[in-house]
Amino acid sequence: MKLELGYIYIKDVQFGAKSEVKDGTLYVNKEEIQKLVLEDENLVSCDVDLARPGESVRITPVKDVIEPRVKVEGRGGVFPGWMHKVDTVGEGKTNVLKGAAVVTAGKVVGFQEGIIDMSGEGAKYTPFSKTNNVVLVINPIDNLEAHDYEHSLRVAGLKVATYLGELARNLTPDEVKVYEHEGVLEGYKKYPDLPRVAYVLMLQSQGLLHDTYVYGVDAKQSLTTMINPTELFDGAIVSGNCVSACDKNPTYIHENNPVVEELFAQHGKKLNFVGVIITNENVYLADKMRSSDWSAKLCKFLNLDGAIVSQEGFGNPDTDLIMNCKKIEAEGVKTVIITDEYAGQDGSSQSLADADVAANAVVTGGNANVVIHLPKMDKVIGTLDYVDIIAGGWSGSLQPDGSIIAELQVITSATNEQGYNCLSAR
Amino acid sequence: MNRAGKGSFSRSFFANMLLITNNPDVRDAFTDKHGITLRFIEGSYRDVLVAARDLIHSGSKLLTHPLMGSLKPNETPYRSVALAVMEGPMDMDSLMLIERSIETFDKFAAVTRPDRGVNTPERMLADFRLIDLSLISSALDH
Amino acid sequence: MAYKVVHYINQFYAGIGGEEFATTEPAKIAGVKGPGMALNAALKAAGAEIVATVYCGDSYFAENNEDAITRVLALIKEENPDLVICGPAFNAGRYGVACGQVAAEVKEKLGVPTLTGMYIENPGADMYKSKTIIMETKNSAAGMRDAVAKMAPVAIKMLKGEELGSAKQEGYIPTGIRKNLFENERGAKRAVDMLIKKLAGEEFETEFPMPEFDRVAPNPAVKDLAHATIALCTSGGIVPKGNPDHIESSSASHYGKYSIAGVNDLDAEHWQTAHGGYDPSYANADADRVLPVDVMREFEKEGKIGKLYDFFYTTVGNGTAVKNAKKFAAEYAQELKANGVDAVIMTST
Repeated sequence: MKLELGYIYIKDVQFGAKSEVKDGTLYVNKEEIQKLVLEDENLVSCDVDLARPGESVRITPVKDVIEPRVKVEGRGGVFPGWMHKVDTVGEGKTNVLKGAAVVTAGKVVGFQEGIIDMSGEGAKYTPFSKTNNVVLVINPIDNLEAHDYEHSLRVAGLKVATYLGELARNLTPDEVKVYEHEGVLEGYKKYPDLPRVAYVLMLQSQGLLHDTYVYGVDAKQSLTTMINPTELFDGAIVSGNCVSACDKNPTYIHENNPVVEELFAQHGKKLNFVGVIITNENVYLADKMRSSDWSAKLCKFLNLDGAIVSQEGFGNPDTDLIMNCKKIEAEGVKTVIITDEYAGQDGSSQSLADADVAANAVVTGGNANVVIHLPKMDKVIGTLDYVDIIAGGWSGSLQPDGSIIAELQVITSATNEQGYNCLSAR
Repeated sequence: MNRAGKGSFSRSFFANMLLITNNPDVRDAFTDKHGITLRFIEGSYRDVLVAARDLIHSGSKLLTHPLMGSLKPNETPYRSVALAVMEGPMDMDSLMLIERSIETFDKFAAVTRPDRGVNTPERMLADFRLIDLSLISSALDH
Repeated sequence: MAYKVVHYINQFYAGIGGEEFATTEPAKIAGVKGPGMALNAALKAAGAEIVATVYCGDSYFAENNEDAITRVLALIKEENPDLVICGPAFNAGRYGVACGQVAAEVKEKLGVPTLTGMYIENPGADMYKSKTIIMETKNSAAGMRDAVAKMAPVAIKMLKGEELGSAKQEGYIPTGIRKNLFENERGAKRAVDMLIKKLAGEEFETEFPMPEFDRVAPNPAVKDLAHATIALCTSGGIVPKGNPDHIESSSASHYGKYSIAGVNDLDAEHWQTAHGGYDPSYANADADRVLPVDVMREFEKEGKIGKLYDFFYTTVGNGTAVKNAKKFAAEYAQELKANGVDAVIMTST
């Protein structure tokens, strides 16, 4: 399976009479976007705002971040099961507005964190301070149920990302990245001497505000299964998770899965990248056992030598992570796990809710309890009402000068557990 | 240690499922549900964990993860845990999990968060109840 | 600018005397004493000087802890130091705990940076590694030169307010405190690189060492309790009144073996605890609460167990090194086996 990703670099975003990409600037027609979002009768208003790297802007409460992409050649379309029919993606050509992102904001529940600061201390931690963001602040009709509001927000983000992605359909990419994956047998023939490695991708699947979708299916209801790595690049996996901002995997990070990219980078050189195993993080213990047994079983079926296991969330998922690690190691497959830590504000507490000696190779995204001071921003995109709650809600508080003292965990994707960032801890 | 049948419990396997909760919304939703006994605790998140631990000591098994959800123990005051009530040898896996969960709870409890866990405003409490109800409902397929 | 340093040592290094002088009360002398001389020489180059040496007997410190630490802190405070160095204590258990406590409390209560040194297995290391910087030393005073060579540069860094490097770089015992940092590579790349090393059998460094648990698999159940001889053992410090073998209240260096033949109940008149790590009043009032001789006698009478073994083994678990504890048990387990004991009930506190 071969996928060419055509990157069109976006260096600025502006409102314009016509939505288009010109000389690295993404122009967006506000009214068209609003109209698109408000097709959903559960939504009453949609403010469209723009946030660029370096600006004194705070976006909150963030729900999801999505990268605009468009399928130019090959089967299916981006975000299958949502924006396009359920047809296998991951092959052909896909164009990407690299450097642009759609950010959805809206208060689904009162304690929902998710801050993106475009400058200052917070900007160092979130990857989305480096993207040119089209922010959608979306309000629902009165008394809309939280589940339905979450669904509407999720779909609105995907719609706008698809709409913006379309602008790239006929553009010539600035850079083309080629990802080719041979399949199990051919890969083995081609690289008989290289260690066989797969990626075990754990998907958040605990329930409301904690869900992930694969081709439109709730991962909670699926057995552990396999997916071609290139399918992820076409939006096969969509996030429905918006609690625990720091260690969530927004749709953007699924589209740009860093472990898949790094395994491709070594494919045929130091290892043979066999494929991606997707498994879930259900609350029900029997599900955990079944899913982790299945991960280990697939690792064995594939005759792997090694596996990288990534996680999403804290507490309950730590148990899945350790179960996966233990069982896969027990099959003789060497693992590296990626997690993050809740070691207390002073860093002195036991970091994970579960532990095992089998997990002897760990990469950490950092301690999410560390307290940071976020300076006042000139502009807040989102609900001010909510900013009050978030500040009071965290151990710190909204300071008289408008700054916020909070734990790192309020920052979107700050301690991402797919290894998207350089942050770590010792 | 009795390991027979480990991990093979389906949702309908036990007629004697017990749901321990301190969340009034869960109580209201699960009262008189077929096959589920409800025990409502007038108390804290920790009290629910301790009640579950006491049952595990006498042979019951955990069905759901005691730390489900992404909300930290010092944020949400609500907790619901499902167990298969049975008498017999203690299930070590359940015991380890509940003990670790209580340990984690205590670690977080050491850091109090105004307006979260303590003095939580009602509009946030309602949301905390909703998340807890939603998670346990989807776990138990109700 | 001249930095002022206070040095804390025990009665032995202060030249007062050995174990028989371990009850020496806190005191202070101007200038350096004992190991302070070598330290002072190394510090002088950086413009620092040990202005006073505070010392205390190890037993006095352990047994009158509240009084000792209060007085030691007061003596140190008078000097208004820029840094306090304790020890090094090498593998001396009580001295190590004292150095750890002094360093931790000076840092916490006086806000003065502190530094100590000890052997990794010194119980003080585990107790205080998160509260003060503890340089890893050899296990005996023969390693003094090496210890000073390690401690002085770190002391100078602390005096100058420079940030310390990692435990590995500087030679201190890892504090267990997690600190965030930015790596050059993103996490996914680090994970793939780590896996490549792990697959190749090369050395790799995990970013998060898992906590280690020393798990002991339980023995199979005793089949015939009614004919079994059961022994009681404890780390709860139960001893005959007066603690005849002087088992230490913490960091015990030995264990005791005492007869309970004919004893049906551990009363307050004849029994007590030597343990210094919990409120002893309930154990002293009724030692059966820690070592249940009374219940075992009832079981014996009822025929539930064959016999309660005539002796019990006891030590104090408080701060006692795992290695020592293992050694104690390995010894008396042989005696128990040789005397036909079928099972042991080990009680803790």
